[in-house]
Parts: sequence; structure tokens; C-alpha cells
Amino acid sequence: MDYGYVNARVKGMHSRLLDKKSYDALLIRQDLPSVISELVKTPYKPEIEEASILYSGICVVDCALRKNLINTYQTILDLVENTAAELYLRIFLSRWDVQNIKTILRGKNIQTPTEDIFECLVPAGSLDEATLTELMKQPDVRAVIDLLATWEVPYALPLTGAVDEYSSNRELVTLEYALDQFHYQNALEKASGKTVEAEIIRNLIRVEIDTINIKSILRIIRDRIEPEDAAKLFLEGGMHIRREKFESLASMRTIEEAVRALEGTPYYFLSELPPAVITLGKISVFEKELDEYQIRNGVRLFRGDPLSLSVIIGYLWAKFCEVINLRIIARCKYAGVSDEDLEKELIHV
Amino acid sequence: MEQVNPTRMELIKKRAQIRLAEQGRDLLREKMDALIREFFRIMTNVSDSRGKLEAVADSAQRSLLIAEAVDDPVTLKSASFATKRRISLDIRGKNIMGVPVPIIEKKRFTLTITERGYSPIGISGRIDETAERFETELDLIIALAETETALRRIGEEIQMNRRRVNALEQVLIPELKQQAKYIKITIEEREREDLYRLKKVKRLLQKKKQKGSEVSPQEQD
Repeated sequence: MDYGYVNARVKGMHSRLLDKKSYDALLIRQDLPSVISELVKTPYKPEIEEASILYSGICVVDCALRKNLINTYQTILDLVENTAAELYLRIFLSRWDVQNIKTILRGKNIQTPTEDIFECLVPAGSLDEATLTELMKQPDVRAVIDLLATWEVPYALPLTGAVDEYSSNRELVTLEYALDQFHYQNALEKASGKTVEAEIIRNLIRVEIDTINIKSILRIIRDRIEPEDAAKLFLEGGMHIRREKFESLASMRTIEEAVRALEGTPYYFLSELPPAVITLGKISVFEKELDEYQIRNGVRLFRGDPLSLSVIIGYLWAKFCEVINLRIIARCKYAGVSDEDLEKELIHV
Repeated sequence: MEQVNPTRMELIKKRAQIRLAEQGRDLLREKMDALIREFFRIMTNVSDSRGKLEAVADSAQRSLLIAEAVDDPVTLKSASFATKRRISLDIRGKNIMGVPVPIIEKKRFTLTITERGYSPIGISGRIDETAERFETELDLIIALAETETALRRIGEEIQMNRRRVNALEQVLIPELKQQAKYIKITIEEREREDLYRLKKVKRLLQKKKQKGSEVSPQEQD
């Protein structure tokens, strides 16, 4: 496939990402209304204006950013139709499908009103708004799974397999584990080709699986989870964290020991965190490092082969990171968090 | 003053009542002292717990803010649907100097990642930490509910006791004493009157007798 045209368009989109000057302009703002008026001067203008009609306060920024992200992904999806990049984009976007299905199942499990469930859906994946609305109309968890199976949505497969266990123990987590396992296995299967592009995609997925497994290990150690339950959190297919490694790390007594045992993997940087942070075992600090690593891993692809899908992947992650940073700025300004603390929360890649 | 019969029987009764009221007052004072001691002991705990609760609430709010900022509020709300919305408490009661106070069975609400009802794979540690801090806050609120209820009830009892002691000391005992005094004065007055009357009668009788003895020799003459 000729990536020339698509990559030129994507590079154009990349040039519209906020630069340091725009970030500084946002950071010096004192409150939320001034942040919103600053955002109006950026490419987020149409979404901000649209959201301002429907919502007020912080919801304007939340909705505008979400909408902008969905629109951006949709634009790229239209550009990369029938290419290997589409495959990765679909895999990348399927995380929202999983999240939406989980939200609907959770809502149905506790009989949450449909409007409340709807508010939490992000139709950025392959399940569009109409599909999600129809799923929401179902009376209970089993009916949602049955409808997914009727429509032959791939996610029905793990859910149908786990629904009997759910019926007996009424633990929704049973379905969620099955869904998560399926999501990553399915992604790896889709990217199982021998081409260079498939390898790039596969590596990204495997790094994501690794980071998820490390996050799980840290939580397992901190909460002293039984090995039987801990095994359920393992995701197959990681690049460096295989089952044996996962089990040996999860059986360690302290987080400090576990991060030191990551020696030889690219995740050893976790052990370089300040000793106070490691001893304290604050998972969110480790997670931030891992998230930054993962985003950096994706973003750096933008500088890769200019005639490959890596430019598109790099842009996807850069956009994802920008939206998170803007949300952090808006939320922190809204809550009156000091600039110093705000700076600490931003994701620097 | 209440109308009383100024009889000796009534006086005995009033004196017995005064003794009883004074005994009651002393007992109530002792009870009040014990309650005040208990009140201050609990108050120290409450103020410590309140400070701790405020710190935990602040940190929970801060975690919530960060989780909403990084993970999107919809992810957070979705995770909240998965949580088990059940809080069962075992509440019993105990008596502190006759004051019923609740004892809330200290059940830990802080859960592990596998107990929260959602798969931790799709939920970030920030959300977990937020949940954990709010669970800790809940733990503290429940512990505080127990001590604050005990404190409030003991405080009410102290106030009620003080009113009782004051009523005994300022109203009932002085009134009983006044009644007893009145009865005593009346009885004494009556005794004096009786004595005077008897003396008068005696004098009259003596006069009569004297007169009789003076008349008799003349008659003889």
C-alpha cells in the first residue's frame, strides 16, 4: 500500500497538535473559563462550541475532548480504509468497545437507568451509538450477551463461555476477565501476519500486555492476592512477561523486590524511581511511568519510516496523549490545583 | 409552699425524703463525674479521628480529581457501576453508666482489587487508589459514627443529670427542708401552746383549789 498520501495527511494533522507555546498559554490560565476560551483558539474550537451549547463547566471540556478524539480517529479510519493501518486502528479503538460492553453489563447488573449508562459510553470503536443503544435496552446481563451473540459480535464468544459461571456466582468480574483475555488474544491473532507492519502492530500490543501484566503484579503484591486469584489477572502474549515470570514476580513479598526482578527487561526503569516511592508502594506512580513508557513507545514511531504505518500509529498515540494532558490541565484548573502539582500530573513524552 | 400537715408523722416522712434526696443528689453527682471523665476520654478520640478523617477526605478528593483527569470521568463512573453497593453493619449496644451507646462491629470496607467487582485489567491504579481512599474514609466515618453517637448521648445524659442535680439541690431539697422546718416550728409552737394551756389550766385548777380551801374554814366559822 502507498502510504504517501495518507501519511502526508496525518503529518498535516500532527502539525496541528498543540505545541509547547499553546501548552504554556493554557498553563498560565487561572481558571476553567479562561482555559476554555484558550481552547477555542486551538483546533478544538468546533467541539468546544458544540459542547458549550449542551453542557456547562468542566463537562464542556470533557465532552469536547472526547468528541474531538472520536472525530480524529474516525477521520484517520476513513483515510486508512483497507490497509494494515486500519487493522491497528481497529485494534486500538476496540478498547472502547470492551469498555462500552463492560459499562452496559455493569449497568444492567445493578439495574442502572439507561440514561446513566448512556452517559458513560464512548462510541469510538466498532460498536456504534445505535448498536450500543439497542444493547442498553436489554433487560438484563444475559439478554445483552444473547443480543451480542445474535449479531455475531466477536465479544459474544468469551461472554457466552463465561455466562454460566456468572449465573451461578453472580460475579460480574467473571465476564470481565473473559472479555479482557479475549480482547488481547483476538488483537494478537489479528496481527499475526509475517509482514513488517504486522510485526510493528504485534509488538505494540505485546508491550501493552506487558505493561498491564506489570500493573497487575504490583497490585497483586500490594493487596496480597491469593495465587489462585492472581493467575486470573495474567494476560498471555506479553513480550517479556511470560507466565513463569508473572508467577514468580507475583509471588514476591514486596514491590521493591518485584521491580528489581525486572532487570533484563525494558521495564527495569521502574526500579530507578526514588526509593521512598518504591517503599511506599503507590501503584499510581508506577502506572504513570508505565503509561508514559507505552505512549512514548507509540509516539516515537512517528519518526520511523515515513512511508509506513508507523507515522499513523505515532500520531494516534500523540493525539491520545494530548487529550489526556488537556483534560488534566482543565480538571486541575477547575479544582484549583497548584501549577507545580499540575505539572507533575502531565504526561511528558 | 406546698400545703403540708404539720404532724410529727409528716415530719419523719419529710426528713426521710430529705435524706433520700440528698443521697440521690450525691449519687447523681458521682454519676456525672464518671460520665464527664468518659466524655473527655471519648472526645480525645473523636477529635483525633476527625482530624484523620479530614486528611483522608482531602486525599480521596485529590485522588478522584487525578483519576477523573487522567482516566476520563466516564471510565470512573463505569467502574462505579461495578462496585457492590452493599454495606452491612452489625450494630450492638452497651451501657456506660446507664447510657445506652452503640457498638458498630468494625468491618473493614477497604477491599482488595479482586473484591471490588470489576476486572482490574481495564481499570487503572488511579481509580483503584481513589476507591481505596474512599473506602478508608468510609471506615473512619463508621468508626466516628460510633464514637460521636456515644459522645452525643453521654453529653445529653450529663446535661440531664446536671438538671436533675440542680433540681434536687435548688428546688426539692430546700423545699423539703422548708417544709420540715415549717412542720417542726408548727409542732413546737403547738407544744408551747399546749404547755401554756396546761400551765394555765393547772394554774386555774390551783386557784380553784386554793379558793376552795379558803372558803371552807369560813363556812366552818
